Amino acid sequence: MTVRLEGVPVIETERLRLRAPRAGDFAACADFMASDRALHIGGPLERPLAWRAFCHLTGHWVLRGYSMFVFADRATDAPLGMAGPWYPEGWPEPEIGWSIWPAAAEGKGLAREAASAALEFAYRSLGWTTAISLIADANSRSQALARRMGCLPEGLFTFPTGSTARIWRHPGPGGQA
Amino acid sequence: MKVETGRLILRQPRPEDWDAYRAYRRSPRSSLGRAVADGEAWTHFAAFFGHWQLRGFGRFVAQRRDTGAPIGHFGPFFPEGHPEREITWTLWDAALEGQGYATEAARAVVDFALGTLGWTSAVSYIERTNARSQALAARLGAVRDPLAPAPYDGTDVWRHGRGRRA
Repeated sequence: MTVRLEGVPVIETERLRLRAPRAGDFAACADFMASDRALHIGGPLERPLAWRAFCHLTGHWVLRGYSMFVFADRATDAPLGMAGPWYPEGWPEPEIGWSIWPAAAEGKGLAREAASAALEFAYRSLGWTTAISLIADANSRSQALARRMGCLPEGLFTFPTGSTARIWRHPGPGGQA
Repeated sequence: MKVETGRLILRQPRPEDWDAYRAYRRSPRSSLGRAVADGEAWTHFAAFFGHWQLRGFGRFVAQRRDTGAPIGHFGPFFPEGHPEREITWTLWDAALEGQGYATEAARAVVDFALGTLGWTSAVSYIERTNARSQALAARLGAVRDPLAPAPYDGTDVWRHGRGRRA
């Protein structure tokens, strides 16, 4: 009577493993969601709401056939964050999202490593021809990463909840913006 | 994993249930009399699948045997932050009320949780103003447990139990 996520690929990069979310990843996710570091993605969230968000992350795989991966330390499998294709109801178009969970994992290029692998997955395996990332204008760290990935800023998108995010467009599959 | 009754098949949610679920969330039956925006409803719908994945059980969608139509979600629910394991029942369309569908489905999932899943106890959290749901709980043999903590204000805890069902 096991219920499993079927067909979630595993992607390995130099330092990371991108894989399906698991129940054991929730604590690290919830700690991040409860912190001020989650301010730019709708947080901080109390644990019950973080749990629903984590269930959403998992259910998105079932409903869309893709979702954000949990990226884990390749050696220890400790979860470090999430990154990947993301397209819930109400989004303007599919995006590549990312979050680093433990603050101690920031500043090492891990988000870039995960997001780049996720973008390549979206282009190569999902057949996307373009990709955006939605980033709050106050989220300078994520903006810096988007710039390093070669993204260009476009207009503001207003979510149904009223909050806004800038659309950053990634270079296309052939490398052109 | 599924549960069958005389008129219903209770099975895991499917992506195709979204249209019927969305119609329910757009109606005033949803969420304390408030219609819910599609984006929020989709998040909740996706979370059904995540709950199954993370807990190994979750809410079933009840499907009518005669028409095949999905008519509501029922069953074992235990999200982070809730004090106890819960049995929930929700009929998506008001036109289906009064025909015993919710009772039929809820009774089957109580049996499933206490039997197949091996729960030793199960509660339902019911708003004090929701007379229909209270009546259903009483029909199932549940009794109010005034000492048990509830996760929301304005709700009573109804406790199911073996031997309590009528």
